[in-house]
Amino acid sequence: MIHRECGVLKTTYEADMGLYPLPIAKWTVAALGVLFVVVIPLSLHEYYLSVANLVWIAVIGALGLNILVGYTGQVSIGHGAFMSVGAYTAANLANRLGSPWPVNLLAGGLMAALIGAIVGIPSLRIKGLYLAIATLAGQLIIEWTINHVTFISGGVQASIEVARPRLGPMVLSSQRDMYYFLLVFVVLGIAGTMNLMRTRVGRAFIAIRDHDIAAEIIGINIFRYKLLAFAISSFYAGVTGVLYTYFLGIANYEQFQIGVSIDYLAMIIIGGLGSVLGSIFGAIFVTLLPIVIRYAMEAFGGIFFAPQTVLNLIPNLRLMLFGALIIFFLIVEPEGLNRLWRNIRSYFRVWPFAY
Amino acid sequence: MSDDLSFFFLLMSNGLLIGLMYSLIALGFVLVYKATDAINFAQGEFVMIAGFVTAGALMVWGAPLWVAVALALVSLVAFGFVLERVMLRRLIGRPVIAVVMATIGLAAILRGVGPFVIFSGTKPLPLPIRDEPFMLGPIFIPPIQLLGAGVSLAFLAGFGWFFLKSRKGIAMRAVADNQQVAMAMGIDVERYFGVAWAMTGVVSALGGILWGNLLGVDVNLALVGFKVFPVVILGGLDSIPGAIIGGLIVGVVENIAAGYVDPYVGGGTKDFAPYVLMILALMIRPYGIFGKRIIERV
Amino acid sequence: MKQFLAIATALVLAAGSLLTAAPSHAQAKGDVVIGLQCDRTGPTQIVGTVLCPGFHDYIALINSKGGVEGRQIKALEIDHEYKVPPGIEAYERHKKEGAVTMAVYGTPHIYAMAAKLTEDRIPGTSPGFGSAAAADGIRYPYIFPIAATYWSQGAAAVDFVKKQLGGSLKGKKIAFIFYDNPAGREPIEVLEDLSALEGFQLKTFAVPPPGVEMGAQVLDIAQRYRADFVIGHLFGGAPSVSIKEFKRVGYPLRKFVSFVWGAGEANIEGAGGFAVAEGYYVMQFAGVGTDYPVLNEIREMYKKQGKPAPKEMASTVFYNRGVLIAALHVEAIRNALKAKPDGKITGEDTKKGFEKISNFTLGGLVPPLKVTPTDHEGGGLVQIWQVKGGKFEKVTDWFAAYQDVVAKHIKEAGAKK
Repeated sequence: MIHRECGVLKTTYEADMGLYPLPIAKWTVAALGVLFVVVIPLSLHEYYLSVANLVWIAVIGALGLNILVGYTGQVSIGHGAFMSVGAYTAANLANRLGSPWPVNLLAGGLMAALIGAIVGIPSLRIKGLYLAIATLAGQLIIEWTINHVTFISGGVQASIEVARPRLGPMVLSSQRDMYYFLLVFVVLGIAGTMNLMRTRVGRAFIAIRDHDIAAEIIGINIFRYKLLAFAISSFYAGVTGVLYTYFLGIANYEQFQIGVSIDYLAMIIIGGLGSVLGSIFGAIFVTLLPIVIRYAMEAFGGIFFAPQTVLNLIPNLRLMLFGALIIFFLIVEPEGLNRLWRNIRSYFRVWPFAY
Repeated sequence: MSDDLSFFFLLMSNGLLIGLMYSLIALGFVLVYKATDAINFAQGEFVMIAGFVTAGALMVWGAPLWVAVALALVSLVAFGFVLERVMLRRLIGRPVIAVVMATIGLAAILRGVGPFVIFSGTKPLPLPIRDEPFMLGPIFIPPIQLLGAGVSLAFLAGFGWFFLKSRKGIAMRAVADNQQVAMAMGIDVERYFGVAWAMTGVVSALGGILWGNLLGVDVNLALVGFKVFPVVILGGLDSIPGAIIGGLIVGVVENIAAGYVDPYVGGGTKDFAPYVLMILALMIRPYGIFGKRIIERV
Repeated sequence: MKQFLAIATALVLAAGSLLTAAPSHAQAKGDVVIGLQCDRTGPTQIVGTVLCPGFHDYIALINSKGGVEGRQIKALEIDHEYKVPPGIEAYERHKKEGAVTMAVYGTPHIYAMAAKLTEDRIPGTSPGFGSAAAADGIRYPYIFPIAATYWSQGAAAVDFVKKQLGGSLKGKKIAFIFYDNPAGREPIEVLEDLSALEGFQLKTFAVPPPGVEMGAQVLDIAQRYRADFVIGHLFGGAPSVSIKEFKRVGYPLRKFVSFVWGAGEANIEGAGGFAVAEGYYVMQFAGVGTDYPVLNEIREMYKKQGKPAPKEMASTVFYNRGVLIAALHVEAIRNALKAKPDGKITGEDTKKGFEKISNFTLGGLVPPLKVTPTDHEGGGLVQIWQVKGGKFEKVTDWFAAYQDVVAKHIKEAGAKK
């Protein structure tokens, strides 16, 4: 994290593998907790909270995709579809059975995990580009199915309204309520991913990524772990889809099309593959980039251009900048924002005596 | 001939002709993969930008057709070279996902550049060929598709000769086969990467002109890129005849699906059927019909 | 390393300062704010890049004439690239800036915002897209289609076809070629009802996305099914493709009527120009052409500023729709301000303002809508135009058809949940 680690000597493996690398890290986490639980939601305008909520949703999805792409080294261009699987499962349960949101959330996640594992089956025989295209096919086939099977989609409009989540007598509808609601799952998602990577399963994922044949030789059942990676990753995606559905009050498959899959891939690549912090940075970056560009153009664009040109410039600039940044990060900083952050940190580690 | 039979022939001929138009786009994809192992997810955008350049030259600047076509060819070839130098060379040896993502980023840039820099809105791309089809018994043959098929087959023949007989083509195959050994043999590997991207530029330029004529030119032209994946997987990623055969298969399957499956399903299975077929193909024969059999098994 | 640090800090600071220093001019100057969502870069950009300037020009015109009841209007545009999360952000930003009405853009977006609009009590419009069931003002109090929905368009199309085929549809064959997504499939249920009612044969032909090729479907319509008339409901680049394909198989375009999103100049241009599309019928929910008083005033306004009229005006179909949408929002605000002399209007007031719109035609550009608290569609009026001699020519005046059938479907949809 952000502390000086001078003088801390670890003497056991347990200490070295601890979630908190330093005793003081606990305090940092606590401070962050206060910031995110108290300061931000109580001081900021609803609008900023709505942006934060979009970021939270993106963080969970990016964490999940990173488990698959970053940690296990499998490619998926079908994550948007897994989200829609979660969304429609939850929406159907909520409307047909009237089940409460925790049940729907879990069911949505599990259904997405199942579908994800099925789509992941080709990964047992193929990898790289072939797998990417197979998951793309998965995306299109899932979209098609939802679009055409009215039992799933709930009618030609393929959108199912869902009541807001309730917590006892409270209905969570304002952006502030949603902020807390989503924050819980973000924390769970982060803790879950960090812990997963410290278990046998997580280590197996990394081994498969680094060298699949070697992994098999040391006794990792590739068949099982690859599907498990797809399942866990899709579980996250499914949960993202369910949260999204509750956030909007409606499940609609057009919100989970191929562009979404690509946006999430961009998040983890810009943020940093195979890193929890990277997923978070990436989700923040990709969500905020268009907003920051727009604010900047609104503030300064009028100096250089006519108002109508500015309006046309903003979206085009955003599109080009988005593409350019992806390429920039891939070429210049392949490990993404996470690496940038580590560089900054290691610079300050010895600061001001940088020699 | 009964109505049903003649309709069947109509579907088949339409499928074969449109399939060759798909091949034209797939060829660009295959060329790059064959020579440089890179995957171009921006193939549709290459085609789109070629359409933009040609239609811009024709309709906005009022240039004659041959100038517009030449301009499209020159600018796409130059673009291919520059792209290789600036972006792809730096990504050599990086995981698949890096190149995939870089080309997706490139696609976003091109989608911004086309309408913002060249022209906004939709423009036609008129070619001096007539719209009315040739009649061959009960079968229609639209001239533009005939031209597209001709160009595809010409490319097949041209590239076939190039890779089998010409010195450059053989060098390029050597590069594709094993970059290190090729380098040791004194082949300038990076130069051939540039050449491969430039060749893709040529194919994309012609693809853009033909598809631009068919669809009109705006960002939606880039959507033809989605047709590429089933074509190349079915045909084999690194095979030029495979791109042609894959295109034909996809064209025919699409038409059969639309003509005989849609009425029973009540939805469009046309763009979905090739992907299902592709998944099956991946399971049975992952390297495609003509692809090299060195796909890594895991 | 140091550069990275500097850049990173600068970026963080810039972002932070921008986010916190976001000004809210609107309330300060007493402007009335309209939240305008737009798509200038996404898949529907050929519409957005023309429609949104039309919206702004009308607002500028109103402001140059002294505003509405002495208040200036501010249309805050946010582009969402036809993606939903940026659309949500746009909505919340508009809300923060105090928008009293939202011009939503995109079918998935109006769905995504439906719950929020109702909770926040801000009216949102979905002219010509979105859910047809939203015409029900009781079920969806804050959603205003304010133009013919896909159900009304389907009904109007059948009525038009009936007239074209000599007054009776008994035993005729009608083909419906549609984009295979929820918006594309929406009219089918109404068409099926009408086919039972009028005794015509209906066959549907799906064009799945991306819709760059539809040879098989068109061949089927022309050669196997041999339709007497075709109704088209396509989006994006697909209408242009359909025109070309029908032309290619020799099917006469004067037996084809397109829904509103295949009806623009851009769709005709994409097919190769007006000469190619001769005979093609299109359905419109706003007047077409340059010959309307309000457009003359906009040109006049530009002239006074010493500027040429914007090039978007040449694409009259989508531009005029932008003007129509802006005008209806302004009209709702006018009604709201009239009802509240203190000028402190909220979303609820503009909602009531929308529900008072009637007899507002802007010299023929806007259909004579009658929006009521129960009917948010305003009558389902359309005009049919035809490509003739290089331009669109008006074939019918404003009309609506089979509104009883449409009403039945709206009622059923409302009862479902």
